[in-house]
Amino acid sequence: MEKRFPREITALDEIFEFVSEFVAAGDLAAPEAFPLDLVVEELFTNFVRHNTGTSREIAIRLERHDDRVVVALTDFGVRGFDPTQAPIVDTNAPLEERQPGGLGIHFVRQIAESISYDHADGNTTITVTKRLES
Amino acid sequence: MSVFDIKSGDDGTVHLSGRLDAAQAGKAMDVLGRIERSAKVDFSNLQYISSAGIGVILGTYKRLLDAGHSFRIVNVPPRIATVFRYAGLASILGIEEGPSPTERP
Repeated sequence: MEKRFPREITALDEIFEFVSEFVAAGDLAAPEAFPLDLVVEELFTNFVRHNTGTSREIAIRLERHDDRVVVALTDFGVRGFDPTQAPIVDTNAPLEERQPGGLGIHFVRQIAESISYDHADGNTTITVTKRLES
Repeated sequence: MSVFDIKSGDDGTVHLSGRLDAAQAGKAMDVLGRIERSAKVDFSNLQYISSAGIGVILGTYKRLLDAGHSFRIVNVPPRIATVFRYAGLASILGIEEGPSPTERP
């Protein structure tokens, strides 16, 4: 399934509906929706916040391949910005040193089996593969 | 899709419900940012949280602790607790787990 969404945080409700439709259509167990929602939200909001030089829609593609799900987000007409190279979050740091920044990509890393970044012809695509939990 | 809501109960407990995503973090901050004493926040009906929501909770926790208050996070459903563990914050914030909400995210 693939659909394009306006690059606005308020599009999240529509995006979650899209994920829910995918979970139902792909005969995935209902709890699979939570980590997929988290991956899609963190990548989508990352694009919206960092790729500010465009007003074009963001494409989200969801595919099931046996016991894995592929999540791919494409941002069109943007400079190359690779969120997968964000610094590793030190989850052992004490409270006074903890900052919320960077947690989104950290969550994606925790959930994903693999993450890849591609920038070609002005378009950035982040592809995440996740193993199904059940 | 469950709408996010945040309400203060008569006993001062703050109740979160629905989905705390990036679009709702501001609404959560509007309420949590006004707390100026020790507080308890009940997650029992919260069905989803992302890094934006974790950021609001972390910021409130640090602000209240710095002011000499406490901030308890109770009845955290397993899925939500997992996100706190991803962040390495479950122990630091002392989250208290509870059962899953009846409605799935």
